Amino acid sequence: MSGCGLFLRSAAAARLCRALVAFTASRRPLRTSSPSQAFAKELFLGKIEKKEVFPFPEVSQEELNEINQFVGPVEKFFTEEVDSQKIDREGKIPNETLEKLKSLGLFGMQVPEEYGGLGLSNTMYARLGEIISLDGSIAVMLAAHQAIGLKGIILAGSEEQKARYLPTLASGERMAAFCLTEPASGSDAASIRTRATLSEDKKHYLLNGSKVWITNGGLASVFTVFAKTEVVDSNGSVKDKVTAFIVERDFGGVTSGKPEDKLGIRGSNTCEVHFENTRVPVGNVLGEVGGGFKVAMRILNSGRFSMGSAVAGMLKKLIEMTAEYACTRKQFNRNLSEFGLIQEKFALMAQKAYVMESMAYLTAGMLDQPGFPDCSIEAAMVKVFSSEAAWQCVSEALQILGGSGYMRDYPYERILRDSRILLIFEGTNEILRMYIALTGLQHAGRILTARVKELKQGNVTTIMETVGQRLRDSLGRTVDLGLTGKLGAVHPSMADSATKLEQSVHVFRRAVESLLLRFGKTIVEEQLVLKRVANILINLYGMTAVLSRASRSIRVGLQNHDHEVLLANLFCTEAYYQNLFTLSQLDKYSPENLDELVKKVSQQVLEKRAYVCAHPLDRTS
Amino acid sequence: MSWAQAILLARGLSRGWGGICSTALTGAPFSQVPPQAPRGLHCSTAAHNPDSSLVPRPPEPPRGLVKALAPHEELFRQAPDRVRDKASFVQAVQNFTQYNVHKRGHVDFIYLALRKMREYGVERDLAVYNLLLDIFPKEVFQPRNIFHSIFLHYPRQQECGIAVLEQMENHGVMPNKETEFLLIQIFGRKSYPMRKFVRMKLWFTRFKNIDPFPVPRDLPQDPVDLASLALRHMEPDLSARVTVYQMPLSKDSTDGTDPTEPHIIGIQSPDQQAALAHHDPARPIFIEGPFSLWLRDKCVYYHILRADLLPPEEREVEEIPEEWNLYYPMQLDLAYGRSSWDDYEFNIDEAEEGPVFAICMAGAHDQATLAKWIQGLQETNPALARIPVVFRLSGSSGELLASSSGLEEPPLTPPEGQEEEENNQQRQQQSQS
Repeated sequence: MSGCGLFLRSAAAARLCRALVAFTASRRPLRTSSPSQAFAKELFLGKIEKKEVFPFPEVSQEELNEINQFVGPVEKFFTEEVDSQKIDREGKIPNETLEKLKSLGLFGMQVPEEYGGLGLSNTMYARLGEIISLDGSIAVMLAAHQAIGLKGIILAGSEEQKARYLPTLASGERMAAFCLTEPASGSDAASIRTRATLSEDKKHYLLNGSKVWITNGGLASVFTVFAKTEVVDSNGSVKDKVTAFIVERDFGGVTSGKPEDKLGIRGSNTCEVHFENTRVPVGNVLGEVGGGFKVAMRILNSGRFSMGSAVAGMLKKLIEMTAEYACTRKQFNRNLSEFGLIQEKFALMAQKAYVMESMAYLTAGMLDQPGFPDCSIEAAMVKVFSSEAAWQCVSEALQILGGSGYMRDYPYERILRDSRILLIFEGTNEILRMYIALTGLQHAGRILTARVKELKQGNVTTIMETVGQRLRDSLGRTVDLGLTGKLGAVHPSMADSATKLEQSVHVFRRAVESLLLRFGKTIVEEQLVLKRVANILINLYGMTAVLSRASRSIRVGLQNHDHEVLLANLFCTEAYYQNLFTLSQLDKYSPENLDELVKKVSQQVLEKRAYVCAHPLDRTS
Repeated sequence: MSWAQAILLARGLSRGWGGICSTALTGAPFSQVPPQAPRGLHCSTAAHNPDSSLVPRPPEPPRGLVKALAPHEELFRQAPDRVRDKASFVQAVQNFTQYNVHKRGHVDFIYLALRKMREYGVERDLAVYNLLLDIFPKEVFQPRNIFHSIFLHYPRQQECGIAVLEQMENHGVMPNKETEFLLIQIFGRKSYPMRKFVRMKLWFTRFKNIDPFPVPRDLPQDPVDLASLALRHMEPDLSARVTVYQMPLSKDSTDGTDPTEPHIIGIQSPDQQAALAHHDPARPIFIEGPFSLWLRDKCVYYHILRADLLPPEEREVEEIPEEWNLYYPMQLDLAYGRSSWDDYEFNIDEAEEGPVFAICMAGAHDQATLAKWIQGLQETNPALARIPVVFRLSGSSGELLASSSGLEEPPLTPPEGQEEEENNQQRQQQSQS
């Protein structure tokens, strides 16, 4: 593994190295595509980039020791001192808790050490996230502060801006917030209304507008604000473009509304922020003028992977609590744990936790490799999978608990409320699915275009080749992508699952090809198809992650690795059949494909803007 | 049964059957009935022209005696000062049954009552229909043997029963269990009224909700309410807002349609507003109308504000801005589009029309009134101030067209009963001759 060298160095050297890397990164022009081929994109072409995902990323012993030193006190603090129930009831994180969080350094986990942060790698950040997520409000507050709030300064800030803001932000002296959403603009950057106009002396921008649903909006004193500015094009025409600004509350004209009353994460502060003739110095432009769109995209794409480990941490705790209940509560002289339907739920929770943990740490490990790999698809997949699994598992946990799960005296209903936001923020899962599918299809399309063109033009050789390949496929040629067998990347005890993954990848490539052939660039409009493509890809990534992790566990000899093998096989088989079903739905005219019906129903409902059917008790006579 | 009676019955049967045929198949050419039939024992004077229902036929129109009162007319004349409502109608029917224990002439009375129902405003009242059916003596007309049921038994009475059901049908009244019970009691299961009843039961339910855009049964009387209902009815966009630009000057003076200050009500959807805002001010827009719209028996007129279709070379191609969606690409950088296999668009020759920006209904169709509408529209559509507006008003209000086609003729307001009968008689005579 190419990243190994990095981990073998001493912790201090590694950190220095990262700091240097971060330093060079800041001066690189912003870029969305990556130099190295990412794993997920290659799946669209039917390839498994083994060197990216096998073996499962590891950290060095020193780094592990160091992080364990951190984890200990943080965990102690969260289990003993944080009163989540009180935070939820009062809708506020108490000051002493905030102070303790600051003293633990949790406000600057990913801020480079030279600026007073902890300078954690992505893997380490994910590890701490597991513990922080034990309280949803604190997790969200910290994420809004550092995963998006100050991330812009790390990613795109100038040296001066970093030196000016990062130390106070990392120490928690000041809090950061990310101001993008507006009443009329969610994911639509074109409808941003906040405006920044250059003053006469060209030294200041005057910022005007309001932003809604800003986490930490009432507490923060440093805001990353996105606003429209006039930019002169290369050909001399004036255009409105988005620019990112670092805005301090002290600049004046910054007001925040009253905190919103929310369903969950009630302890976090969410409110409107208004800017009225706020004077922002020219030096506080983040990145280039007119380059705010890319800054926003980079910030959003960078923060998602950590949700996987955070949810996994929460789920592990939840499994403990519910298992305790299930093994002590007696009904009909038997423990709840003896009932099959209850056991099933625990298997589900364990499986989901295992998969999302594997995905999260695999992605974190990939991100920690040198060369700034673009893992935004992987991160989005982790986010989608973990948020949906969280909702499903918490709901099942409540089911196990029965009535007490519904009571406010117990923490479960709060966990349920808190976890609902996961599917919504940081890009809703629907939108991320579009991102996953479209980015991958774009990649595949570029490669396949030449072939598809030839097919469309009726090039005989290409058609013969394709037909021949299809014939061979249909004759049951075994797919071998090199995961199994002697010296295979996957341990033989999971050979079956590995074969399933290989087969799925192979069939997926064919499906992608035929989809591109069928729809071309109009596939953007086929959201139901894209959703399925994304679902398949998420399953494939999950399968890869668990196979990789379980193989490592066996080979290294970790404790209870046989349990991991069980979970891996369970998930792979389930995902394999799910994928087969989804793939059959992608076929044209397949009986499983109900898209036309679905579209018709929704169209009629939306036309009437109501439930259409007559009441079952209605009569005509 | 005597021979003579049998012959008479057979004749009656053929006529009665013909009558039923001709009502079922309106204007059926094979109606066997001579235009002017002599009155037989059970025979009906089946003189049905295609467009007349069974009802308005007076029982026996002797030529020359047009003005003669129909029998039992006096029952409905008892109190000229009394309000004509359900109670008085029921009273009249009860009077008939009370004073006429033997129910002599009940068929004539039922026909008369059917004609009177509209005047009393009970033409949609199921209970009244059941009351009318209840006048028939029970069990007398039921067939007693197989021949009775094969041949039309008591055709005049059966026809009368059918007439009651038909009038119910015309007014959309669904018969109920009681109707069924009465019909079985009077005519028996296999009788023609009963068959009609069964068919009504079957088809009424299926046709009741066949209109996807139903109009309420009782339309509002107020022209403003009626206009907003009509506008809502025409506008498919549920976000569209109805605006009253001008209320009729005084409601109490001249029934709301004062020529100086007529009502102006318009509808416009947000999409239409946006389209109007983007309209090129160099191109004029037009007010066209009046066009007619029928809501049940009422005709209303509307005007539209529209523009001509842009010539293809001037249409803006909607392009996707480069930095639009923060989360996923809005377009793929691929060289080819959808394959023809997945292109489900049928090749339809569509005549494209220019955009419609707003619809209005006004009490008057002149330019001055419509100019007020445009003034009102300018408040929400500032762009309208810069766009030239051309009035393209057709002189005829469309009424002529409606009456000449004769298909959607609005029922006349019910005149005095006598006159209506006269008209009917005259019409009938004309059609007979």
